Formats: sequence, structure tokens, C-alpha cells
Amino acid sequence: MIGGSAGTPARVRLRRPSDLSAEGAPRRGGQRRADGPHLSWPDRFVDTEEDRSALIVLLHLASLTPRRFLELAQERRTAAACLRAVADGECASGFDRALAGSIRPREVRPRIEACRARLVAVGDSEYPPGLLELFDPPVGLFVRGGPLEALTPRMSIVGARSCSPAGRDVASALARALAQAGVCVVSGGARGIDTAAHEGALRAGGRTISVLGCGIDILYPGQNRALLEEIATSGAVVSEYPPGTPAEPFRFPARNRIVAALSRGVVIVEGATGSGSMITADHALDVGREVFAVPGAVTSPLAAVPLSLIRDGATLVRGPADLLGDLGLPVSVPGDLSGGSSWWGPSASAAEQTVWEALTVAMAPDSLARAAGRPLPEVVSALVGLELRGKVRQVGGRYERRVEGSA
Amino acid sequence: MYGRVYAVAVVGVQGRLISVEAYVGRGLPALALAGLPGAGIQDARERVRPAVESSGLTWPLRRVVVNLSPAGIRKEGPGFDLPIALGVLAASGQVPTTLLGAYAFAGELSLKGELVGTAGILPVAMAAATGRLKGVVVPEANAAEASLVEGLDVVPAPSLAAVAGFLRGSWSPSAESSVMRATRQPSRELDLAEVRGQGMARRALEIAAAGGHNLLMVGPPGAGKTMLARRLPTILPAMTRQEALEVTRLHSVAGLLSGGLVEARPFRSPHHSISGPGLLGGGSGFLRPGEVSLAHHGVLFLDEMSEFRRDALEGLRQPLEDGRVIVARAAGAVEFPARFALVAASNPCPCGFEGDPQRLCRCLPNRILAYRQRLSGPLLDRIDIHLSVPRLSRAELLGTEAGEPSAVVRSRVEEARARQRSNLPGRPWTCNAQMPGGLARRHARLTDAAESVLSVAVESLALSGRGFDRALKVARTIADLAGEERIGAEHMREALSYRGVPSAEEMTYVG
Repeated sequence: MIGGSAGTPARVRLRRPSDLSAEGAPRRGGQRRADGPHLSWPDRFVDTEEDRSALIVLLHLASLTPRRFLELAQERRTAAACLRAVADGECASGFDRALAGSIRPREVRPRIEACRARLVAVGDSEYPPGLLELFDPPVGLFVRGGPLEALTPRMSIVGARSCSPAGRDVASALARALAQAGVCVVSGGARGIDTAAHEGALRAGGRTISVLGCGIDILYPGQNRALLEEIATSGAVVSEYPPGTPAEPFRFPARNRIVAALSRGVVIVEGATGSGSMITADHALDVGREVFAVPGAVTSPLAAVPLSLIRDGATLVRGPADLLGDLGLPVSVPGDLSGGSSWWGPSASAAEQTVWEALTVAMAPDSLARAAGRPLPEVVSALVGLELRGKVRQVGGRYERRVEGSA
Repeated sequence: MYGRVYAVAVVGVQGRLISVEAYVGRGLPALALAGLPGAGIQDARERVRPAVESSGLTWPLRRVVVNLSPAGIRKEGPGFDLPIALGVLAASGQVPTTLLGAYAFAGELSLKGELVGTAGILPVAMAAATGRLKGVVVPEANAAEASLVEGLDVVPAPSLAAVAGFLRGSWSPSAESSVMRATRQPSRELDLAEVRGQGMARRALEIAAAGGHNLLMVGPPGAGKTMLARRLPTILPAMTRQEALEVTRLHSVAGLLSGGLVEARPFRSPHHSISGPGLLGGGSGFLRPGEVSLAHHGVLFLDEMSEFRRDALEGLRQPLEDGRVIVARAAGAVEFPARFALVAASNPCPCGFEGDPQRLCRCLPNRILAYRQRLSGPLLDRIDIHLSVPRLSRAELLGTEAGEPSAVVRSRVEEARARQRSNLPGRPWTCNAQMPGGLARRHARLTDAAESVLSVAVESLALSGRGFDRALKVARTIADLAGEERIGAEHMREALSYRGVPSAEEMTYVG
């Protein structure tokens, strides 16, 4: 059970140099760490049908950010009252006031229903309580699939969109292990690591939640259309944006706060300096979630974020066993992802075995031939033999071991 | 009043004997040209008179008509200056006509009357030999190429005055100039031994050379793709004299010749901004051989292949299939030979660093997909070997020893080629790459072990039909290099490593 902290080792709270100095890593993602107290939504903020209709209108207003909305709610106490404040010109931009006057909830509701989604508002039993710990919690979520309260416990796996094939394998293996242990895998539905995490969970027959940075009816990116449909069937697809909101880059950092807050902890698999993975990790820390990071080679640009997180105190994860162990879950998977050497059956040739053992890092075939002390054609032939068994793969002219079972 | 001189018009790479008739008659001083002269010959009208007068000869101040016969073909090129001038001199009685019928004349004149080096002299000499003339009179600079034609008396002349002297019997080419600067330029030879690391690419070059396979290299900038491609000609078998003559003739027509016989296999690497006619041959007026023909019997290297114009790349299909290019015009079709080894290079993505462990690729997956799609298609099907070339780090380069020199590799290539010729007797193709896809299976001769490797590959690598044939042909060449009668499992597996980069179709799951 991963609900409580019992059974998990005490961990150093991340010390982030950027917390201390004004010129630390650039802070992105909206209003995090802005000045101000932690606020909660008023009780019965969305209570009546009128409130729900008002909420649908209010969610369309770009100038009414979640934090401003939250501040407005402190004095107005209900969604309907907030909408009246907007109509009276007491808050939100002039453009949004006009917009609020033109939105007919009657017309929006069919669009929500058309994609088989529903609006889960704060105060509803399905609303994930973890979100309330955010500085700027969303007032409501559009949900396809679910119900969300059944999709627990949750862990997030995020990382680079332009990831390496090995990173994809790692994300997939972690997601599979989590899914097999009954954990719901949360990610952002983006390309790369996010996609691998979702797919890994689905392949293991598990459940997964995808948090979109666009309207609930927009399946972005296009290549993931089928994947997102499948997630909506077996898990849930959620978004804080009303139907029709296009996918735009500035919404993805905000989406990351929901990914972080929805789950018990966040695993970062790959990320280059300045990428969204760091934002997700920052959000996770803000709401007190654990941060796990999968290390890479110090020379790899994609290892920049995980390595700097580890240096700041994040928990290093070598593979599914580490992660499951740290979460207090039974470990039923092999210890590491480096491949080991236990798979040899009678089918492997001596050359293949030699080549496999020499292939410790990604290597060009002739470097490998030197390392293994064999002629190049024989090494190439052995590599293809291993490739045909799904043991190695070729990336940009170099061969590397594959993560066990990822073929 | 009337004079007649032989000249040669070059159509494509073929010379056609033309008689240049001149008539000097009554009328205002003028030079009229008849007989379908091309734009280059129209220019001769202005050059010939100053050249004649500068040479101490007299231009007849009467109406001069020059006719090029037969009139049906369009004549091109500056080589007509000399025969036109001589025709006029003969018609005005300034040179004797005794030798005029025995020689063909070609050469561009300067206004001072010097004979300037001219393109396309080798076909001129060939046409003279075919027309059973005794010899050719050509500019000194072109003597070497003209003398490649056996049994022809080549008269290298420095000027119009010298030619007039030759016809009068008062001048003859000195022995010195008829030796014709046979000294060959000792150009710095490239050698495969200079390539450090990149053993896989060196091996791929050897296989490509041995089987006549086309090669695609994909790798980041700085991986050494160009350096490798430049060394492919050095491991190809030496050209036969017949091949060398074909190459020399093409280079002569293109005006690229700087000496006699071209003995090294050509290496052409056109920039990707090249036009379709520039690559394939053509152009307005004079039809020039394109880069594909200049690479005849050599290597055509297309760096940044995806940046080439689509129409130019599409046009490569014909020469890759037939070994020739046919440029069709309203006036008729001209054929240029173009049998070359294609080496294409490309970055893996627009920024170039996809798959590189040290540098981050900043390309969006759909951009990479679009980039690869530009590479795919029918042209890629004609490239048997696809190779990923990594950018080697300093550490990876350290400790690599120099590879084998080209001569050693070339001898293995020649053995493998000889084996192919004896394995494929009575067939129109001489190397494995030319085997038609459907027949590759029958001629490949697989062992049972190789069969099973192939069937596993079809399953687990989703090998396409084309990919299947390509792998078979490459495996056949690898077996030929190894001197094996039948393709073994290890040959088959090595061949499968040259699938290289995932094509656009295989990239559906890029994440």
C-alpha cells in the first residue's frame, strides 16, 4: 500500500539552489511560488445547476486564471456569484466579460457529452483531493473515463518528448511494473516518454490517466489519437480546459502541475536542460510529492534533468525493482535494466555471447570489434543475430542493449 | 570562289562529319551562315574575320556565304571557327585545296588568330576516323585527347597562320608538340587507409564496390560521409581502355578534359541546388552531358540527398535502371551513357543530430518524419546498402589503427567481381546489384541456415519485399567477397545490418 509514508525510507527534502538565489534555474509554469497564502475553494462553491452553468462559462475565460479564480471565490463564495462579478466588470478583462456574455452553457454541454466527457467540479466526490494542495488548483476537471476515485493509487512517469529509444524502454518497463502492482500510471499524453509510460501500463493490462494540455475533445498529438481513446476506455483522460481549447505550448507547463498533484510521486525518465520534466518535478516538490529520477550517462544531454534532480536529493531509480521497493510494493521484477547475462539459452552462439558481454555501452560495431577482439564481419553478424532476438538495437550507427522484455 | 572543308558537329557524344562550304561572290562585304548553325556558331561570324586579318591573311571584301551541310542537324560549338575561316581562305584562293579533303578541322579562334583549346575534340577525332579521313587539325591544347584515336594523323596547331602554313606545306608541327604533353599530373591520390575508425562504413564501401551496389549513408554532420564517399573510386576495379575512352569522350564534350585519357574513375558531387538538366543532361541549345554522365563508370555522390529537387531525383531512375540518359527534344533524342555507382548521404533529421548520444536533436518527430519521407520512395528502392554513420567522439577515434590501403581492398573487390562474372554467365548483368529483384532469390543460393535467418528477419524486422531482395543481393556479394559458393547465415545476418535507418514507413512509432 502506498497511501502512507510508512515503509518508505525517510528522504532528504530536495535542496534546490534555485530556491535560495534569485538567479537560479528559470522558473516557468505560471504562478507557482507566487506570494500569497494557501487558499481553499469555499464549501459548496459549485452546488446548484446555476453554479455548474456559471462554472462552464467561467472556465472559458483566459484572464481568470485558476489562482485569480480562487481569490475571487474567497469573497464571492459560489460560482454563480463569481460569474455575476465578471459580468459587473469587477474582475477579468473586458474581452472576457464580453466573451462570458456570449457563451451559452446549453451549447457547451452537448460538446462535452459528444466526447463522452463530464465536468468534475471541486466539491464533487470524484474530485481528486490531492489537487487541492496546489497553489492554484483547477476548479474543475473534464473527465473521460474514470471514475477518478477508483483509479488509485497513482504514480506519474514523465520525461522528454524527444527521448532516446532506451529511455522509452525504461519508461515502458517502469509503467508495466507499476501497472502489474496495481498502480495507476499518470502522464501527460505527449510524445516520447509520456507515450511509452501510457503504453507500458496498457500493455500490462493496467490503468492509466492522461492529463491533456488542451480541450478534452482534442486528441493531441495526432499520432496518439488511438492511444488516448484506449486510455479513456480503460483509465481516464482529463483536462482542465473546456472543449475546443487548442493545444498550445504555454498550457503544457500548467498541465504538468496536475500530473504532479494527482499522484503519490513523480518519476522523471529523461529530460534536457530547460525542459518540462523539470517543471513537473518542481510542481511535485511544491505539493510535497516524492521525486524519483532515472539516471543516464553524464555525457548524455537527455540525462541533464534526472541527474541534476538526483544531485538535489531526488531518489535514484535503477529500474522497476527500485521503484516498487521504495513504494513499499512487492518486488516481482528483475533488479536492473542493464540486461544482465542470464538469458542465455542453447541458441546463442559463442560470438553472440562475446559480443553481448562486450557491449556495455552504446558502441559502433568497429569499437565493439576491438573491444571483443573479433573481426568486424563476425561482430556485425552477431549483432544482427542479437537484434533479431530483440536483445540489442541500432541507434544512429551504434548498437546498444535493449531493456529486458521491451521488444 | 568556292571552298570546302570538313568539320564535325557533336550531337550528344556522337560526332557527325559536316562539310563547310564557302562561296565568295559579288555583293556588299558580309558573312552569311546557312545550314542550321547553333547559337555558338553564330558567334563565329564575328570572330572569324578579325582572326583571319590578324593572321596576315586577307578577308575578301565581298559577300561571303558559308553553308554547313547536311543542313538537317543543328550544329553547335565553337569548334567551327577554324573550318569556317579555312573555307573562306580556300574560296578566296589563299590556301591550296590539296590537303583540305583529307583532314577534319576543329578549334575556336581568338581575335588574334590563335587556336584556343576547345571542348569536344575527342568525338571530332572519332568522327574523322569513322569517316576514313587521314587526320585532324586541332588546337595544341587538345592534341592529347585527339591522339587517343588510333590510326589518325593529329596535327596540333597553335594558330590559324600555322594551319594555313600546314596546308601550304610551309609549316609542320614540331616533334616536341606532337609528343603532346604526355606527362600526367601526379595528383594526390586518396586512399582508404586515411579513414580512421568507421570500420563499418569501410566495410560497406567494400561491399558496394564488390557488388556494384548503390549506397546510402545517414549520419550527423562531421561523421565523415563525404570523406568516405570520395574514396569509393579508389577501391573500384581499374577501368578498361574502352571504359576510359567512354569517360574521356564525355568529359571532352563537357569541356572538362585537361589532358589525355581519363584513367581514374570519376567522382562527381554536384551541389544540391543543381537543376534537373544539370544533373541529367540537356540545357538549351547545346546539349551538355549532365553530372550523371560525367560520373559514368565512376561515382555520383549526392550529399544532403533530401535537399535535392524532387524532379532531379526522380530523373535518376532512368540512368539507375538503364545506365543511360535520353534527353528528348523536338528535334530528336540524344543519348548520354550514365552508368555510375550512386552514393547518397543525408542527415538523419533536419538538425542532423537525431540518434547522436552527445548532441541533442531539437527536431519535432513529425519534422523528422517529413524529412525522411523526402528520402523515401522509388529512388531508395534502388539503393541496396543503407548505412548509419555515427559521429565518432575523440575517445572512440583514439586507439583506432589506420585501416587497409585501397589497393588491398581493391584486389578483393576485383576477385569478387570475377566470381560474379563466372557465377552469372550468359546474363546481361555483370554484378549482383544489377540482378533483377525477382531473380535474386534464384541466384542467391542460400544455405538452410541463411534461409532461417531470413525468415526470422521477415517476421521480426518487418522486412518488406524490396528489403528482402536488397538483403539477398547484398548477402550474395558478402559471400562472393568471402569466396563462398553459398550464402551462409553469417553473410545473411551481416547483410541485414545494412538496412540502416528506419524509413518513414517504419517510423510510425517514434514516440
